[in-house]
Amino acid sequence: MRCRHLFKIAKKTLVITFFLSSVWTAAACALDGNEILRQVDENMQPQSYEMYRKLINIEPDGSRKEFVFYTVKKGQDKMVALFLSPASEKGRATLRLGDNMWLYIPNVGKPIRITSLQSVVGGIFNNSDILRLDYSLEYEAEKVTDQGDSYLLDLKAKSPSVAYAGLKMEIDKTTLLPTSIDCYAISGMLIKTLHYSKIKDFGAGLVRPSMLETSSPLYKGYKSVMLFAKIKKRELADEVFTLNYMSRVDELR
Amino acid sequence: MNFAKLGEKGILGQPPRLIYGSVCFLVCLLLLIPIIVHGEDEFSFELDEIEKKPLQWGGYAELKWEHMKINQGSAFSSLNLSDPSLSTRDRFSGSLQIDGRYDQGIISLNWTLKAAAQQDDLGWADMTDIYETYVSIKPTPHFTGVLGKKAYKWGKGYAWDPVGFINRRKDPNDPEEALEGYITGEIDLIKSFAGPLQTAALTTVILPVWDEVNDDFGEINNVNLAVKLYLLYYDTDIDLIYYSGNSRSTRYGLDFSRNLAANFEIHGEFAYIPDQKRVRLMADNSVLVEEISATSWLLGLRYLSENDLTSIIEYYHNDAGYSKEDMDYFFQFIAEGENQFIAARDDSLLSKAQDLSLKGYGRPQPGRNYLYTKFSQKEPYDILYLSPGLTTIFNLDDSSFSVTPEVIYTGITNWEMRLRFSYFGGGKSSEYGEKLYRNKLEVRLRYFF
Repeated sequence: MRCRHLFKIAKKTLVITFFLSSVWTAAACALDGNEILRQVDENMQPQSYEMYRKLINIEPDGSRKEFVFYTVKKGQDKMVALFLSPASEKGRATLRLGDNMWLYIPNVGKPIRITSLQSVVGGIFNNSDILRLDYSLEYEAEKVTDQGDSYLLDLKAKSPSVAYAGLKMEIDKTTLLPTSIDCYAISGMLIKTLHYSKIKDFGAGLVRPSMLETSSPLYKGYKSVMLFAKIKKRELADEVFTLNYMSRVDELR
Repeated sequence: MNFAKLGEKGILGQPPRLIYGSVCFLVCLLLLIPIIVHGEDEFSFELDEIEKKPLQWGGYAELKWEHMKINQGSAFSSLNLSDPSLSTRDRFSGSLQIDGRYDQGIISLNWTLKAAAQQDDLGWADMTDIYETYVSIKPTPHFTGVLGKKAYKWGKGYAWDPVGFINRRKDPNDPEEALEGYITGEIDLIKSFAGPLQTAALTTVILPVWDEVNDDFGEINNVNLAVKLYLLYYDTDIDLIYYSGNSRSTRYGLDFSRNLAANFEIHGEFAYIPDQKRVRLMADNSVLVEEISATSWLLGLRYLSENDLTSIIEYYHNDAGYSKEDMDYFFQFIAEGENQFIAARDDSLLSKAQDLSLKGYGRPQPGRNYLYTKFSQKEPYDILYLSPGLTTIFNLDDSSFSVTPEVIYTGITNWEMRLRFSYFGGGKSSEYGEKLYRNKLEVRLRYFF
């Protein structure tokens, strides 16, 4: 009788322990996913920085179009990008403050509000790719899969204003840097795939990919490559990230 | 050459394996060099591409051909054409815009220069102008001082800017073109905050009007003041604008812009002018200069659909515009002037009509209520850098309209090609029905440098 009672208690304890451990594991995974994502952001760039990027759009016949732009970012949600070339785009600036985005065209002479999904330069890249904020600010980790040498994070957009509803991000375990990202629409359709490569030492302890290749099933045969240079930490006044400053961004260089 | 024999001792006395190895290495290197070079070239980012120079300049050169079909018998053809039998007109034009900047520490010198020339059946015409040239000083990110000739583009509207009290009037069919500025002194103060009010910026402009200085702005020998307070408040852009001075009457303005969704933006402008002067032709052909209390406002939206169709729609109301009845009088007056000229070779009425045209009746969109729409499709059928578009302007008072389909191609670096057709439709005594042209075909080629 006593033995049966003990068996019942042990059984109950086992069930409760199993239940609690399952809940704990799930919570731990979710926490880990977001922590990994935060680490990725930290490894990819300082919180406030300046950098130069070259975007190369390659068409199926091999012809190319190149854009060079200068970017400064402050904190989690302030960013401005200025086109340096080609001549047809020179002086154009895009500003992002959280979910707000503006485009300044020198001839037009005033900033106009734009949407994150619009393309400033044509081709596969849109505004969100150029003015992308930290992944951990825009996405929540839903699932982490251990793939041996890498993690696979299933990420969900925190708000509908984010360009891609979901991401599948593959992260190198040793460096905690992204190697590839699949970007999905809300319908589940794959919009584009990003591949990071060419790890480079940018100085001040920043070692990260210097090249990002993009392909899209929506633009078969087309490819975009983004090259990164001179990424460095920089402190800037908040006033740099305002509409009145958009015509003067080049003075920061 | 007998390699077997050479192999025993080798040329230059080298062991044969070393020679074979060296040859193989050189051949491999020669074969690899193009790959290495190509690999380096394929995606390179040279630092001289991003090096900043104190002097920067650029601009564009443009060639344009226009073929216009004359709207024979229309009011504006009577007013502007000496040969009533003319049915078409071809115009070739070229223009050059050069803009640049020279930076020296916290001071920079900016300029925009424009030169244009055209040839049509009326002959040759050309112009050169300094659109902008000003010095700016920026000791801190919070403060900017500007002195010189500068163009202002205040307002949130795409086609019109009722609150653009010191703007030049833009062409709704080409609202993105550079415009000539005014000689001004300006102080710009910016402050950012944490919280719902993210930014506040105050722009104060002094605009003098003297003989040969801004004398096309308004009455001369006056110094005018324009102030704009910009606020980014709860993710909404808000401008409060005030103009005072004796060159034009005092005016007050408000505009706003906000994203309601990631792909949906709304904007609006409201202007109040208590003593707006207006030249008006009366039924008895007398001309009255009246002062009215006028409000003018605009409400617009910008929407991006899932398939990359951008729609811009704006409604514009202008109290100071002319009513359908006012325009009827004007067109009737031109008809009388033409009859007088045919009967008695007396052009006094036509001259008076021309003067009235310059004083308001002939300006673009002189009416009271308009609807503007622009639809542009980004890269249809996955054709990169191609943007077809359609622009329409409706005069809601007389039901006349302009429809302008166009195609823009920017696939070749620094080149832009635009093909555009405009059709002006409307009945007798309507704004677009009485235009000089019935339709216009335009091919424009621009090279940016």
